[in-house]
Parts: sequence; C-alpha cells; structure tokens
Amino acid sequence: MVRRDAAVAALALAFGAAAAYESSQLPFGTVHSPGPGFFPWWTSIVIAALASIFLAQALTSRAKVEPEAGGRISKVLALLAALALYTYLLETLGYPLCTFLLVLFMLRGIEPQRWTLALGMAAFIALVSHVVFAVWLGVPLPRGPL
Amino acid sequence: MELLNHLATGFAVALTPANLLYCFLGSFIGTAIGVLPGLGPPATIALLLPITYGIPADSAVILLAGIFYGAMYGGSTTSILLNIPGEAASVVTCLDGYQMARQGKAGAALAISAFGSFIAGTLAIVGLMLLAPPLAAFALKFGPAENFALLALGLTMVGYLAGASLTKGLMMAGLGLLLGTVGLDPIMGTQRFTYGFFKLSEGFDFILVAMGLFGIGEVLANVEQTITADVFQTKIRGLLPSREEWRQAAAPIARGSLLGFFIGVLPGGGAIISSFISYAVEKKFSRHPERFGKGAIEGVAAPESANNSAATSSFVPLLTLGIPGNASIAMIFAALMIHGIRPGPLLVAERPEVFWGLVASMYIGNIMLLVLNLPLIGLWVKLLKVPYPLLAPLILVFVLIGAYSVSNNSFDVGVTVVFGFLGYLLRKFDFEPAPLVLAMILGPQLEASLRRSLIYSRGDLMVFFERPIAAALLALAVLMLLSPLFRNLLGRRFWQFVAPGSETRDKPDAGSI
Repeated sequence: MVRRDAAVAALALAFGAAAAYESSQLPFGTVHSPGPGFFPWWTSIVIAALASIFLAQALTSRAKVEPEAGGRISKVLALLAALALYTYLLETLGYPLCTFLLVLFMLRGIEPQRWTLALGMAAFIALVSHVVFAVWLGVPLPRGPL
Repeated sequence: MELLNHLATGFAVALTPANLLYCFLGSFIGTAIGVLPGLGPPATIALLLPITYGIPADSAVILLAGIFYGAMYGGSTTSILLNIPGEAASVVTCLDGYQMARQGKAGAALAISAFGSFIAGTLAIVGLMLLAPPLAAFALKFGPAENFALLALGLTMVGYLAGASLTKGLMMAGLGLLLGTVGLDPIMGTQRFTYGFFKLSEGFDFILVAMGLFGIGEVLANVEQTITADVFQTKIRGLLPSREEWRQAAAPIARGSLLGFFIGVLPGGGAIISSFISYAVEKKFSRHPERFGKGAIEGVAAPESANNSAATSSFVPLLTLGIPGNASIAMIFAALMIHGIRPGPLLVAERPEVFWGLVASMYIGNIMLLVLNLPLIGLWVKLLKVPYPLLAPLILVFVLIGAYSVSNNSFDVGVTVVFGFLGYLLRKFDFEPAPLVLAMILGPQLEASLRRSLIYSRGDLMVFFERPIAAALLALAVLMLLSPLFRNLLGRRFWQFVAPGSETRDKPDAGSI
C-alpha cells in the first residue's frame, strides 16, 4: 500500500462526491435536452470513479515509495505565505514597495544571499520592472503611497 | 503551384522587419529558457502571453512558437554540459551527451544536436505544410457528434500519453473539465460554481491558471529542491562534426525526424515521449548497443532530432482540428483565442496570413537558431552560471505582473497564487498538470458538442455510433481506456529498456513541455 497515494485518492474521491452534490443543485435537464448540471454531474461521477480506481491501486500496490526529505517544505510554505501577503497588500502598499519586499524576502529568507546583493537586487527588480511595465507599457500597476 | 503562392504569402508576412524581430526574439528567449533548468516552455509562454495582447495575431504566434521550438535547441546544451536536462525533452540527451563532453567531445555533441535539430525541424515544417491544409479541409465536414468524438479521443490520448499513470492522467483531465465549467453555461447562460464571486462568472481565466500551475508551481518546486549547477569545465572546440561523426549520425537524425513527426502529431505525444522512444529505437537497432550511455553520438543525434520534429508537428492538430496536444501548444491556443482566432479547420482557409506566416517564420527561425546555438554557444554557457536563487524572484515578478495585467485586478493575482500552490502539489504527488490544462481549454467545446448532439438526436446516444467517423474515433478512445494493463506492462519494460535504474532520477515531466 502506498499511503501517500491512498490519501490523495481519498481526497479526490471526497472532491468528486462534493462536486457531484454541487452539480446536482443545478438544473440537470433530460437526455433529450441536457441542462447546465448535466455535464458537471457526469464529470464529477467520472472523477469519483477514477479516484476509487486510484484508491484501489494505491491500497493493493506493493511499490515502495521513498520517504520525502522534508527539510525544505518550510521554505515553500514561507514563500507561499509571502505571496499571499503580497496579493493582500498589493493595492494598499503599491507595486514597487510590495515587490521590493517580496524579492528581499526571497533573497534573505528563502535563499540567503549577502545583504548588499539582496538589497541591490530587490531595489533593481522593483524599480526596473515598474518603469518598464507601468511607465513604458502602460500596465496600471498600483503605485501605493510612494 | 498553389503551394508556392501560399508560401509566398507566408514569407511576405514573416519577412516584415517587425515579424523578423519577433521571430528572432522567440528563438532567442526559447534558447535561453531551454538552456536554463527550472523554467520550461509552457511557463515562459504563459508569462509572455499578456505582452502579446498588443501585437497582431500573426506576430504573437510567430513569437510564441519560436519560444517553443527554440527551447528544443537550448535544452540539449545543458544536458550535454551539465548532465541536467535544460528542459524535459532533453532528459535522454544527458545519457550520451554528458559522456561525450567528459571525453572531450562536447563540441561535436553540441554541433550534432544543433544540426540534427535544424534538419529535423526543417523537415517537420515541410510535413506540417503538406499535411495541415488537407487535414483541415477534411475536418471541416465534422458535425457536433464528430467533434465530440474527436475531443473525447484527444483528451483520452493526452491522459494516456502525458504521464506514467492513465488513472492519474484522466483524473487530471476530469478536474480540468470541471474547472472549465466554472462561469456561464455555454448554451443557456446559467451561472455555475461562481459562489457569489462576480469575477468568476467569466470562468477561470486560462492564462491565470497556466501562469500559476507552470510559473509559480515551478518556482515553488525548485525552491524545495535547489538546483545546483556545475558547468562541466572543458574547452568547447571543434564545433563542426567530423566526417566520421556525420556518417554515424546521419541515419539516426533521419529516423529521429520521422519518428518525432508522427509522435508529435498525436495529442499528448510531443517532444518528450518522442525523444525517449527514438533513443530506445536507436539502441535497439544499433549494432553496438553497449556503446549507448558511454558517449554514443547516435544517442544525442536521434532524440535531439526527434524532439524538434515533434515540437513542430504538434502544431498540426492545433491548426487543423483545434486540439492542443501539449501544454505549450495550449498556451498558443490561448494566444490565438485572445486575438479572436479559433484554432481549427477554418484557420488555414480564413486566416492564411496566420498559418502561412507561421510556417514561413519557422523556416527562418530554424536558421536563426542554428546560428544562435553554434557560434554563440559561449553566451549560453555564461547564462548557465547565473545561480537559480537570483532567477527565481525575476520569474515570480514576471508572473505577478502578468497576472495583474490580465484585467488590472489583484483578485487575479490571488487566483494565480492559488493555482501556483495547486501546481506545486501536483508535482509533489506526481500528477501531470498538462491534461488538466488541456481539458480546461477543451471542456467548454466538449460540453457544447455533447449537448448539441443530444439535442439534435433527441437524446438518442446512437448518434455517436451511427456516423462512421464519430464511431471510429470513439472506438479508438475506448480501446485506449481498456488497455492500461497492457500499457503498464509495456511501460515498465520500456523504461528499463531506455534507461535502466534512472527512471526515478530523470523522470520526464510532461508538464514542462
């Protein structure tokens, strides 16, 4: 049994069931004249069926999966949190400042570099990308208070 | 004669100064991202999509196509010099290419893969040019039943060929179909799965999904792994292969080109699989199979030819049937849609400047790529020395700006980040993102053609079996679905045959193609 795959399969099965329920809330129509719920419902059923097959495969499999070397997952989560914060603060703090902070965080927090390099890269990327995209190409990036 | 007229039209489009520049930019960026491990063609094309809004459709396609086939050239450089595939279609090139480099024959390996790529790419354009117009004319006769059968077969094939597991591939396709239903119902206009988010009534923007899955997903996956690059320290000399090397490589290049072309035409086929299969074929037919893995030039020539040929021929189903066979082609599909062009049988007839302009630009682009990849090889070796931690923020900033610019809204940035997380999880649990993306694009058409067929036939399912073409296509899809046992058997033997013991380390990732 491959525990990791079994967990994913169970999750997919639950997702398929939930999607089927949500689709059943839409008008199903008839086979003569299928409604908006027809296609999503059948798709959800197919997903659930496939997930069941996958679950069976995972439970009966004798393959050995090497345990994950999980040391760096915290870095992935930290970067994700930074990206979520970036999205949240983008309109308030503005593009240049948010981008400066994101790049600085990546070069100090995720893959530590020298302070001078990190600060320099962060300022360079934030400024140049702002000039190129907001000023030259006219993308209305939020400017923020700066 | 007609063909020459069409080609003349095409070159008239491709030879304008602006389009020459776009063709060069595409080839240049393509080579660069091909060389750099950790940034694949679909991610790059997704990143550049927003920039192509403002330029004409023919230029946009010329630029994006150049990135795709250009990456096939660049990928081999990293494989040969670093023993790390620059992109997924150059995984097998590592086996013999790196050995050649260690024996001091890096120059010959780089040269033969560039010339092989050029020959294969050019032959494949001839094939594309000859095959696409008649195929498109044939597909014009399709009604909703045939369209449904074709799309169903296309999706099955993508699930079948894209990854190691058919079940997982189909699960991804199912998820993509479901994501494609978010928004307004294509026939009745009912809101589906929008949960009160006004922005979702137009559905998930495909570009945001692609940028998230491929762009952010790739960065997150790389943050976890850290790519360390050690360029093989060698003087690259002898960039022209010797007569003996040409003699050894000629037949593999020819076989690779042919094989690559046919595999590339299949939905879900494409560059990665073709490179693996052509390597296996060469090894099988070689009189000295023991030389493979120890620096056999055939092991570089064949897969590098095959992946270029397949990259070009994968435009055939896109431009004639409207079916994108892999993730990069799906991005080009999206670019065409943004410009109001629906890829499919009408494209060749209605927008000849787009089709023939693209064909002509590919001839030009391949010549540019040959120059970029041989005399300028030193430039790319320097690029390889830029450490990934410094590239990652650049990639992310591009994605974030691109996501924002789709409709100048930070909600879109959030959607992209969420799909980025999904892309990371999919990679982690060995699911291919490619079937998801393709299903999401094809989903609305699949649903509409299914429902229309049922309405016309008054609910009689026989409509799919009474029409010969539809029945044949669906029969093929069913056969494919019923063959997983046979395929597992073949699959395992196939991988051991191609690269014994290396399947865990160098597993090809169709998502990055």
